[in-house]
Formats: sequence, structure tokens, C-alpha cells
Amino acid sequence: MTRISALSNTLLWVTTLVALAVTIFPFYWMLNTSLKPPVEVFASPPTFVSAHWSLGAYETIFRTRPVGRYFVNSVIVAVGATALSVSLSALCAYGLTRFFPRGATPFVMFLLFTKMLPETLLIIPYFRLMSDLGLLNTYLALIIAYSSFALPFSVWMLIGFFRSIPREIDEAATMDGASILQTFRKVVLPLARPGLVAVALFTFLIAWNSYVWALVLTTDSSMFVMSVGVANMVGEYRVQWNELMAAAVVAALPVMVLYAFLERHLVDAITAGAVKG
Amino acid sequence: MVDAIALPVPRVARTGPLNRRRRHAGLLFVAPVFVFLCVVIVFPLGHAFWTSLHRVRGLSSTFVGFDNYARVLGDEAFWHSLGTSVVFTSSCVALHMVLGLGLALILHQLTFARTALRILFLTPWMVAPAVGATIWLWLLEPQFGVVNYLLRAAGAIDGPVAWLGEPGTALASVIAVDVWRGIPFVMLLMLAGLKTIPAEQYEAAAMDGANAWQRFRFVTWPNLRYLVVVASTLDIINTIRHYDIIGVMTQGGPAGGTEVLPVLLYNTAFRANRFGDAAAIGVALLVLVLAFAILYVRLTRPDRPETAA
Repeated sequence: MTRISALSNTLLWVTTLVALAVTIFPFYWMLNTSLKPPVEVFASPPTFVSAHWSLGAYETIFRTRPVGRYFVNSVIVAVGATALSVSLSALCAYGLTRFFPRGATPFVMFLLFTKMLPETLLIIPYFRLMSDLGLLNTYLALIIAYSSFALPFSVWMLIGFFRSIPREIDEAATMDGASILQTFRKVVLPLARPGLVAVALFTFLIAWNSYVWALVLTTDSSMFVMSVGVANMVGEYRVQWNELMAAAVVAALPVMVLYAFLERHLVDAITAGAVKG
Repeated sequence: MVDAIALPVPRVARTGPLNRRRRHAGLLFVAPVFVFLCVVIVFPLGHAFWTSLHRVRGLSSTFVGFDNYARVLGDEAFWHSLGTSVVFTSSCVALHMVLGLGLALILHQLTFARTALRILFLTPWMVAPAVGATIWLWLLEPQFGVVNYLLRAAGAIDGPVAWLGEPGTALASVIAVDVWRGIPFVMLLMLAGLKTIPAEQYEAAAMDGANAWQRFRFVTWPNLRYLVVVASTLDIINTIRHYDIIGVMTQGGPAGGTEVLPVLLYNTAFRANRFGDAAAIGVALLVLVLAFAILYVRLTRPDRPETAA
């Protein structure tokens, strides 16, 4: 009996590690290539570990290409979208749960539908709207677009959070003479912090990782965000793969770091909707 | 969820003028999002319909009724694209589900390092699809790419294969990349589902002498079936409208081999500058997505007994 379970346990771990190797290998190869000098990139057979690893490609991309600028653009857009989306969705979710409890369910249905619209369809009118308003190549156009895509999920999630905060707490604050806004800011928001963190993280990831909106709404290369900047390097006449992979590392690192720290929040948020309905 | 809705409204708030004041205050909370979504989603959606009924040339547009639809539906490229979308979406979703569920079952059995492994397995899903696709372009590069090197070393292929150079292998390649990226999400949902299965059910099954397959068949699967249906519907909706991976890797080529509907839509609008036709394609795609969205909403309706908790 114990021998069989030891065997199946070994099998379990072997399968896990093989699956993990396949999953992670592309990232290893990205890192490996980004650290190679230009000549070694085209070595045959390719080197899996190299004695010549250096940060040369990173230095080159920040010196000769506007990668620093792309990075700053991505940060501005992602932080802007996060701030806008979190504040709007917190207000809305609170208003719905406290003042229009009956309206909350149909509104959530409406949100679910907007969450599922194909973005390539919305891009066409959105592109024309932004060009009519003279907002192409601005941060604002991207911030609004990304917030609109994060909002439905954020409101939906926060409604769940605010519902779980008992109304008696609001009422106690009102009895003590707090205004509606004070109750919201000083009593309810602090209690909903885990939800707000999850929503903020989710919006940041959406904004940072988004590609096609920025591709359409920015034509000036000084306004490119990381994802567009990286993908654009592919189209060059002669691709410098070590530099391209270095840029990919720069694009991937912030989300990986953020995610490793806040994994718990995000996983709870994502699974809550589908599992609990 | 249902309990929270049924909570009695406090008595004080029910009296006339105060109630009205509360409602006004409530409107101020809800209005910003409502206005925002109307401006950014509802208006563009309406505008897309309007565009689909017009011929757009630069700044001028003329009303043409359903001409764009007739032209798009009469175009062989549209049906080819629809077929590609069906192949792409069904292969991706089937593989996401099978492999994601398998991985979740394995991770659920492990006794240690579960959190660390879950974080590692989720990384493909965390990184921007456009960036993930760029990494794969390098892995699949015909001459110097490591995939060809590994396959040759293993004796699976004789010479270098230009994976993205031929319609068939290109479609298989973008499916592979989407599978790599999409498994973690399904795995995450399934892990959460597995956690909700009461341990007593497994104990009872073990007492009845059930083997591993029987435990899966009679305990795990009945508990998970509903979640599997919901997750696949959600996954279909997300995959059928996905642009980024194909947009970066092949832009729909070669010879339209990977031109799924969202890519056809993008190419028609922003490469061929035929906005009217593109909008008509978009409306067709929207109808497809909405069909699955309605299914999803019906499945997850809060008044269903399984989801009331």
C-alpha cells in the first residue's frame, strides 16, 4: 500500500515538474537571450547557460531606444486608469448597495454584458471619437479606455464587498452625526480595503498588459506604451533578439513583482466571481 | 448575496423627505459610473452600428443601408475567417479545459509548495499577451529558434520548420501559444472549485473502496461539472474575441491562415481603411459573443440554487 502511494506520489511530482518546465521555459529563454552578447544569440547550437552573460543589451536599449520613455508612459497610463477606475467603482458600488439595493442586480447584469463586448468592435468608434476630440496620442485617451474595461469587473466585485459590510455600521456612524460622505470615507472604505486592493491590482494589470487599444490610439512613437514598443521591435528590418528580449523582460518584470507580492488578493478576486456566482 | 438584498431598509430612512434626500445622495454616488459607461461603451457601441450602415470615406459618410452587411456576408474571406475562428476557439478552449483541469487535480493532491507552484504556473497568464507572443516569435524562429533546435535534437524533425510560414502550422502555433497562456486561468478556477468539495464525500467513497478513477468520476466530477460549464463558456467568450497573440505573431497571415474574426476586423478597419465593412464584421462578432454571454448569464443567475451561496 505505502509503496503504491509512494510511487504515485513520485509520478505526481514528475508530472508537475515537467509541466512546470514547459510553462516556465519561455521566460527562462527570454532572460537567457537578453543576457547574451549579440554574436552568441545566433550561435548554433544555442547556449542554455553562458559564461558571457552581461547586462549589455539592457544598457543598449535604454541608451539607443526610447524604452525608458515607453516604461514611463506605461506607468502613467496604468496608474491613471487604476486611480480613476477604483474611485468611480467604489462610489458606484457603495451607492448601489446602500441606496438602490433592488437596482443592483439589473445593473450587475448590464455590467456583465459590457465586460463581454469584443474590444476590436469598440475600437473603431472609439478611435474616431478620440480623433474628433483631438485626443489621439494622449494619456487621457488610454486612461479612459482602460478604465472602461476594468470598471464593470471592479464594480461587480466591490458590490460583493460592500454587501458583506453590515449596514448597522453605517447606521451607527450616522447616529453619531457623520454625513453620508463621511460614513463612506472614514467608516466603510477602510473596511473594504482588501476589495479595493484587488480591484486596483486588477485594473493595473489590465492597463499594463493591454495592447490593441494603445496600438490604435498612439501613432507617435514617443507615446508608445511597453507592450506596443516591444511588439513594434519585431517588425524591424533586422531583429536584435537580445535587445528585444531585454525589452520584454522590462515589460514583464513589474507585473511579475507586483503579482508575487499580492497574489492572494488577486486569486481571491478572480475566483470569487466564477465560483460563487 | 440574496440575504444582503433582503436586509430591511432602516425605519428612519422610510419617512418622506429624508428618504428623498438619501435617494438624491445615492444618485450622486452611482451617476459617475453610469455616465462614464454611457459615454465610453454605450455611445461607441451605437456609433459602431451607425458606421456599419454607412460607407465611410475619410471624413464623409453616406447612408447605404445594409450594403456593408451584404458585401461582408457575400465575401468568401468572412466565411473563411469565421471557420478559422471556430477552429481556433474550439481547439484553444478544449485544451485549456482538459489541461487546466488536469493540472488543478495534480496541484490539489500535492502536500507542499502549493502556493509557490500556483504562482509559477500562473506566470504565462500574468504577462501581457503581446509580450508573451513576442517571446514565442523568438522561440519559433526558423533558423536560430530553440524550438527547432530541441525538436531536431530529439529527432522529431529533419530540417528547420518555418512554423509561421505556412497556414496550417501557423494556426497550430498560435493555438499552442494561446493554450500556454490560457491554461493558468482555468487551473485557478478549478483549484478554487476543488477546495469547495467536502472532504467527507471522499472519505465516504474511500470507505466504499473506490479507486482513484471512481473517486474522480463519482465525487469530483459531479461537484465540478457546473463550474466546468461556466468556465468553458467564459473561456469561449474570451478566446473568440482575442486579438493580441495573433495580431503580434502573424497579423492573420500567411494567406489568411490565422485570420480569426477580430483580426479580420482590425485588418479591414486599420489596414484596408474600410470602416463600414469592419463595423459590419464587428456586429457579426458581437452577435456571436452575445449568444455565449446570454448563456453565461443564464447559467450564473443568482437565483439558481447552486450559486445562491
